[in-house]
Amino acid sequence: MMLTLKPLRITLLSMCLLVVHSVYAEQQPQLLQKIPDQPPAPDFSLVDMEGVKHKLSDYRGRVVVVNFWATWCPPCREEMPAMERAWQQLRTQDVAMLAINVGEDEDTIFEFTANYPVEFPLLLDTTSAVISAWPVRGLPTTFVIDPAGRLVYRAIGGREWDAPELIQQILALKTAADRR
Amino acid sequence: MFLNTTAGRAERSAAQHRYGSRLGWYLLLSLLPGAAPVITLAGPVTTGAKPETGLRYWEWNDQGVLFRLTQRLPDQTRAYLLARGFDAGSADLAATRCMFQSMFKNTRSRGAPAVSINLEDWRVHAAGTEKRKQLLTREHWKQVWTQRGVSGAAAIAFEWSLLPTRQEYAPGDYNWGMTSYGLPPGTRFDLDFSWQREGKLFRGRLDGVECPADIHPEPQ
Repeated sequence: MMLTLKPLRITLLSMCLLVVHSVYAEQQPQLLQKIPDQPPAPDFSLVDMEGVKHKLSDYRGRVVVVNFWATWCPPCREEMPAMERAWQQLRTQDVAMLAINVGEDEDTIFEFTANYPVEFPLLLDTTSAVISAWPVRGLPTTFVIDPAGRLVYRAIGGREWDAPELIQQILALKTAADRR
Repeated sequence: MFLNTTAGRAERSAAQHRYGSRLGWYLLLSLLPGAAPVITLAGPVTTGAKPETGLRYWEWNDQGVLFRLTQRLPDQTRAYLLARGFDAGSADLAATRCMFQSMFKNTRSRGAPAVSINLEDWRVHAAGTEKRKQLLTREHWKQVWTQRGVSGAAAIAFEWSLLPTRQEYAPGDYNWGMTSYGLPPGTRFDLDFSWQREGKLFRGRLDGVECPADIHPEPQ
């Protein structure tokens, strides 16, 4: 009897494991997509809401998260609080975060920040010249740039940026550079 | 805006509007030399209405792809465009060309292949006609706004508000954006959409999609 039940048990156990694996796979936080060839990030020079100029090449030697967004874009709004939480962790590790607003004016963004307060710099790409030079087709799109100035990771659509796996993925770039 | 008169009924019947089934996909391969194999799917499509607005949606969720269209009232689009610097005539032109809020997502888990789309390959088949038309893409509207002298900032906002014409989605990637079908308010149409994964072309269909009517609901 035991012998006849054993294959059934194994089958049931396998099925349970398969279900658990599928559920787990669905719940896994979506990591960042590695960019093939890791091309150099196109340089830009933009001012932020305080009028401070940010030139991307000045950040060379640091890991930089560059996010393209707009206030009218629902997933952009949704991910802002998570980006802020991530920034609070990343800033202590000398990682920079720059969020480039596409096509909107200061007043619109200022109004937006009343509901979505963030401390990382919000840069103004009012003419869309910068986004046009980057490999972006929809908002939000976010890139992670390594200390050598290369585009290493990409995320299309919003993410839970403060998920430990994502933070770890970003910090790993810094660790790798520090070892060299 | 409250259009709750139909919302509950539509929501309740959402599950009943599934047609096709996961097992029921019929398919096939077009074996033209050099052409990507084509797989035509009759996947599960869910329709319903947002309880808070009554606006209807059509959703495909199968084969690692989630594609959803939600109606946008012409007035929603008018208001959105006027707030971004469009003149009334241009805002009305776009608003009455059957706009939907759209979402396309690669729902597969990490490590799975990417999915790519090209809206120029999608076809709109309006009820009562034989003709199949293309969507009105970013490139189309860019020309229109140039001809009409719409300001740069307004045109930029509109361009980035539309679903990208071409995009590649890694697992977990998604875009939201408006799609425009070029049909008058109230028109029903079928949408043949497609995506590619690992060199294979997949085709799906949303039947009986309804462009929202040009109504002006009063708050209740």
